[in-house]
This record gives sequence, structure tokens and C-alpha cells, in this order.
Amino acid sequence: MKILLALVKKEIKQILRDPSSIIIAFILPLISILIYMYGINLDSVKVTIGIKNDDQSPEVATLVKSFGHSKYVNSIVFDNEKDIETALIRSKIKGAVIIPNDFSSKLSRRQTADLMIITDGSEVNTANYVQSYVASIANQWLATSKYNSTIVKPRINTEIRTWYNPDMDSHFFILPGSIAITMTLIGILLTSLVVAREWERGTMEALLSTNVKTIHIVLGKYIPYFILGMLSLAFNVFLCVCIFQIPFRGNYLILFIVSGLFLFTSLGIGLNISTMLKNQFLASMMSLGLGFLPALMLSGLMFPINSMPDIFQHFTRIIPPRYYVTFIESEFMAGTIPEIVAVNAIFLSVIGLLLFALMYHNTSTRLEASSKRVRLESVQ
Amino acid sequence: MNTVEIKNLTKKFGNTVAIDNLSLNIEKGKITGLIGADAAGKTTLLRTIIGLMLPDSGEINILGFNPETQKDELNLHIGYMPQKFGLYEDLTIRENLELYADLKNVPHDFDKMLEFTALTKFQNRLAGALSGGMKQKLGLACTLLGNPEFLLLDEPSVGVDPISRRDLIAMVREMINPNTTVLWSTAYLDEAHNFDTAVVIDKGKIIYEGKPHNLAPTPQEFENKVIELMGGYTQEESLIAKNYEWKSKYCDENDDECLTVEADNLEKRYGNFYAVKNNTFKIKKGEIFGLLGPNGAGKSTSFKMMCGLARPTGGTARIMGIDIKKNPEKARSNLGYMAQKFSLYGSLTVRQNLEFFALAYGISILKRKQKVNEVIDVFGLKEYEKMKAEELPLGLKQRLSMAAALIHNPPVLFLDEPTSGVDILTRKDFWNHITSLAKKGVTILVTTHFMDEAEYCDRISLFYHGETIAVGTPAQLKAQAGAQDMETTFINLIKESEKQ
Repeated sequence: MKILLALVKKEIKQILRDPSSIIIAFILPLISILIYMYGINLDSVKVTIGIKNDDQSPEVATLVKSFGHSKYVNSIVFDNEKDIETALIRSKIKGAVIIPNDFSSKLSRRQTADLMIITDGSEVNTANYVQSYVASIANQWLATSKYNSTIVKPRINTEIRTWYNPDMDSHFFILPGSIAITMTLIGILLTSLVVAREWERGTMEALLSTNVKTIHIVLGKYIPYFILGMLSLAFNVFLCVCIFQIPFRGNYLILFIVSGLFLFTSLGIGLNISTMLKNQFLASMMSLGLGFLPALMLSGLMFPINSMPDIFQHFTRIIPPRYYVTFIESEFMAGTIPEIVAVNAIFLSVIGLLLFALMYHNTSTRLEASSKRVRLESVQ
Repeated sequence: MNTVEIKNLTKKFGNTVAIDNLSLNIEKGKITGLIGADAAGKTTLLRTIIGLMLPDSGEINILGFNPETQKDELNLHIGYMPQKFGLYEDLTIRENLELYADLKNVPHDFDKMLEFTALTKFQNRLAGALSGGMKQKLGLACTLLGNPEFLLLDEPSVGVDPISRRDLIAMVREMINPNTTVLWSTAYLDEAHNFDTAVVIDKGKIIYEGKPHNLAPTPQEFENKVIELMGGYTQEESLIAKNYEWKSKYCDENDDECLTVEADNLEKRYGNFYAVKNNTFKIKKGEIFGLLGPNGAGKSTSFKMMCGLARPTGGTARIMGIDIKKNPEKARSNLGYMAQKFSLYGSLTVRQNLEFFALAYGISILKRKQKVNEVIDVFGLKEYEKMKAEELPLGLKQRLSMAAALIHNPPVLFLDEPTSGVDILTRKDFWNHITSLAKKGVTILVTTHFMDEAEYCDRISLFYHGETIAVGTPAQLKAQAGAQDMETTFINLIKESEKQ
């Protein structure tokens, strides 16, 4: 116990003296939350479109006007298509509407009138917004215009209610999700360095000739970084809830317990990488590839898992961030749902324990581990 | 009673036999020196003795324990200092001691230890900020905690100046009790000559075991005997020097009075601290100029400034008449530099490293292949050319570094502790090349901690606390210090300067 305490104390001192761990634990989350808050936006935004009206009837002039009054759209009126193209290329407008000269006459004859919508396919997301905004503005205009008698009333009236996130604010799930990214970084990137560092600096060899046992080495690495990770988690939650006013509807105790389990798995990945490679540079590269990128791409935070190809969907089952992202999004937005908490907590515990066992197995109190990768300057 | 009993020990790494059917007994309470060339198997033997490595065959009994199965029990009785000392550089001296005391379950009572190592004043300084000699003392202090019955030190005196080396031996003798057994691996034969027993190993086999005095009465003769045991050293004509062609237009090939390297009031200041102060010297063509001094005296800093790697805060230096401050690239193209640490690319092969340096020194692609082939032949690297540089033994690494430094036929060669940690045979061979090169007109500026090497220098500048305290030929310095050998000269002159 005394040995473990000494190793933990040593590790904490090293953490405190190494600015990079503090930066990764506290400054990085701050930056990433700022980026996720202000930089990334998956919601509707106000777009500017161009309008060319070839129909001189006064009714259609009100349609042009209603494009100018919309909450989501700014409009600029153009006289010819050439100018529209130039404006589109210069990104002054994101799309354009062309009203043909037979627009009102067709409507008057109770025929279907055409409205041309040009969108910029190089920005698919925005193109979709332009398309749906224009269509809905045109339909609203039609409903209030003198041609409204031509509308066929739909037989089903749909009422939309978005539960858990009525404003459809994507920050409400992206920010909690970013906690998963930060926790992955702390767990994997920082710890991937720490065992390799002891090998590179020769301190491991000295430790192994003292009373230190395998369990001391393993726990001596897990405990300090677990503490650092939990402090960083608290800081993250504070930023999300208190500073950025993300609603939290769950239970803080459950949030911290499951987050602790997730941290346990991340530490396991990082420490295993470090123990096996014994080289700081290789380990940090490997931790980015094995830890950070899957957490970003395959956890379901950025790209929905059920829209991935089958093989990737299966693959996501073995990456811990998938379970944590699912949990943390529902814990923040929907509150504690026992089934979700239980399923994800169980998976995280199983993966975490497996990694812990692997780390214990690979940590030897000799220079020749079962692993063949040991390459000290063996012949001297 | 024996502390160590080894019977028919064999240890292999792949196809390489590191320890070959070795049997050895070490008596309790004796200090035993373990001597051998690089890659002779010294480190492997130490590691196998304490169970850090497992033998392929043979029996080992250490203090009544079998390190293969009873490593944990054995650990309670030993103190082991690995080559890199095992210090945590981001912890202070005191914190390192506290950590190792806790790991060995002994009380935090370091007063005597700190006082004896003269580290009391610095106990809150980070281990990473200590000089080589102080690190060594701290490493030894950590190893001595808990008064181990068996002390194993793996080349504790590599890269340490003569004063620190003396302190280190004194410290071990003072801190142990009559029952402590010490196994001390070393490349310094004068050091081993003072021990109770010497064990000389070569290619994993013991070639001498017994009292050093039985082999030879004086350290110098002991060295010669050991060299003989290792197969002997015959001085051959240096091919490296033979193939060297003088190219510089600045000095005529036969003008021996030409000043090739000049330091002019060189100074490096960090805040209020002078790492180097008023450093002035002039070196002639073909001279071997030695820069000697304790660790942290400012030798390496001077070197770096003279190569244009660090900017002087005052004064300047000239290489072949070119001012290093005004025209660093041009000045540098006239010199070859061998850094203190191995600074070639470990993951490239021997050939690839040389190809890279040929290119870096501006040798045209057309001539490159021929030049590299020539260098590989001359330096005897043919059979290793496809090996990765990091896999070479120390002596060959050092030869490769020299090959890289000489690939462009520079008229000036800077060597920063080129022989640190290198065995006696390799050192002899190395100096044969250096002295032969000097005869061909190459100016050599060298630092070393081996006092026997200082004898090869034409002139020596003794450096202390950033300042030159004495300059002259080895004979002049000895006369000035009133001493017979260089080591005593060194120590006397340093002590004298401390008094002032």
C-alpha cells in the first residue's frame, strides 16, 4: 500500500509539473467546447438567395417580397441569369429562384405553375436548406394569395413535436458529445506516453529492482490519471451546464459513475498501447489512430451509426466511445433512462475490465516480458 | 561465503550469444570490477544476476535466492543502478530519494546521505537540472538506500570527470559495511585496478578472474595486460588518415603555422550566469587541442558556439578565417562535428546515414555513391552497412559518427566526448586515427574525461566554471601542478583554482 501511494504521489507530481497534461485536461476541453459551440453548426442558418422575376403581374411581386420578409432567407433581386451565376460563384448568394413569365397566368388557369430553384451542389447541406426554405415560402405565399382556392387540402394534418430538444438545437447533443472526445483524449493520448516514458528514460529498470510488484505499476498509472480525468470531466460539465447553458435533465451521480467507467476503458487503451510499444512517439501516433479517430468518426457523435455500412456498424460495438456517446446524449437531453444507463454501463465495464486484465498480463517485473517487442540495448 | 554463484550460464538474443557457458563466484564483502569491451555481455550479466532477464540455461544463486523464481525476495536485499541511473528528471533530489525510500520501505532519513554527496544545498533542485556528476551521486544515493547486501552498479562512471569519479568510489567505500558485496561494471581500467577482484569478460566468456594486483602491479601495466587478454592491440596504419585529402585553399598544405581555429573572447551568458566567459585560444593547423574540465564547466557550450549551433552573447570564433557569427554556414562547411550523444538516424542503415550526410555536406549526387563506398571501406563498415544505426554496438556507432563527420574531408574536426562509454581497445584504435589525421594537417578540437587520452593532445586548455584556468602542453601542465600523471594534475589545478 505504501509503495502504491508512493508511486501515485510521484505520478501526480509529474503531472503537475508537466504543462502538457494540464493543457490536455483543462485548456483543450475549453477550446473544443468553444469550437463545437460556435464553430460547428448543424442547424438551419439564414441564407441569402437571388431572385429573378420574369412575371410582371402585381400578385407575383408580393411573392418576391415575401422572400425578403422571411426569418431564414435574405434575398437580392437580379435582372439576368449571368449576374446570378457570378454572385453564386462569389458566394454572395447560396442559391436562386427564377419565376418564369407564365407563372401567374398558369396559376390563374388552375394549372401547375413552375418555379425554378437553383442551388449550389458543392455545399449539399446548404443546398438542402435553400430548397426547403424556398418551397415552404412559396407554399405559404400561395395559401394567402388569391390563388389559394386552387390548393388541394391534404387529408392528413401532421403535427410535429420534437421531444427532448424542442428547439432542435444541435449544440444540446454536440456539446455533451464533445465531453466524450475530451475524455478519450485524456484517457488515451496522455497515458499512452507514461509507461513508454519510463522505459525510454531507464526508470523502469530501476523500479523493477525494488519491491515494486506488477499490481503497483498498473494501479500506479491508472489511479493518478483517473483522478485527472474526473477533474477534467467536472470542469467539462461545469462549462456545458453553467457557462453554455446546455440543459441537463439527468442525474449527476449517474453521469459521473458512467463517465468513470468510460474513463476506465480509455485509460486501459492508452496504457496498453504504451506498455506494448515502449516508445513514446509510436505510442502517441498509435493512440491517435486507435483512440481519437474512432471516437470522433465512429462513436455516432458526428455521423449516425445506423447510416454507416454494415461492417462499420458491427465494428462500432467494440469501441467504448460509442456506448458513452449514446449514454451522455440521453442523460443530458432525456434524463436518466434506466435501460440505456444499464446497457451502456455494462458494456463499458466489460471492455474496461478486459483492458485492465490485458495490461496486468503485459506488465512484467522483468525486462523480458512475454511480449517479443522488448528491445532494450540488449547486448552490452 | 559467496554472494554470487553462477554455473554454466548461457543467454542468447536470437542468434547472438550474449553470455556463453559462464561460471562465476563472487565472494561476500568484496568489491569486484566487471571489465569488458562494448557488447561483451556486462549489462546482460548484471541483469540476469538480479532476474531482470532470464537465463537460457545454467544455474544462478544470489544470496541464497534463485533470481528466476525468487526475484521479489531477492529485490529486498539488492541495490541496482542501471546505466541511465533510473532518476526521475521531473522530480527534485529529495523527491527522488523519498520515492526510492518508500519503494524500498525504509525511513526518510537522508541527512547523512545528502551531506556525504554534497547535495544538501541542492535538495530541492530537479534531477533533470543536475550536472552529470551530481546525477550519478544521486543515482548512487538512491541505490544505497536501505543498505543493500549486494550492490550492482552498471558503468556508474561513464561520462564523469575525474573528480566526480573519485568522489563516487569514496562514497561507495564509505557507505557500505564490511559485509556488502559490490559488483561494479566499468570501462576505466585504472578504476578496476583498485578493486578487490577483477573479472574480465569478452564475448560472453570470462577471460580473467582474480586480484587485479596479481595481473599487474600498476594501473598502466594492468591496462596493457587486459588489452593483451582481449586479444591485443596492434597499431596499424590508419586508412582513414591515408585516404584523407587536404582541400582547403585557406591554408597551404605545408603551412603548419596557419591558424585554423580561433576563439576570441567567446562568452555565453544566461541572465546573470556565465556558462562561458573570456574564452580565447588559437589553434594551429594539424594540432590536437584538448578541452578538459569537470562536468558542467562549459565545454559543450563552447563547442556549440564554435560550430555556430549556439549564438555567443559576446566575442566570436573563426574557423579557417571565417567568422562564425557573420557567416555560420560557410564556417561550418569547413568542419566535421561529432556530438556528445549519438546523433545519427537510428532507424536508417549505416549506408543510408552516410548517404544522407554526404548530401547534407554538399557532395554532388554523381560523386556520392563512390564517396560513400570509399568511406564504408576505409572505416571498416562493410559488413554492417545494411544494419540499422541504432542496432550497432557503441564502438561502431562512434566509428560511424566519425565517418559521417569526415565524409566531406573537413580541415577541422570537433569531437565532443567521442569516447565516452567506449572500451579500451576501441579507444586505442580511435586515437590512432585521430593522431594520424592530425599528421595529415587536420586540426582537432576534442573534449574527454579520460585522462590517459589527454596525453595524446598537443595542447590542453583546462576549463572550470566557464573560464580557462590553465593552458599548455601536457608536460607543462603537469609541471605547473607538480604532479606525475594527468589525473592528479587535473585535480590539483581544479582545487587550486577553487581556493582563489
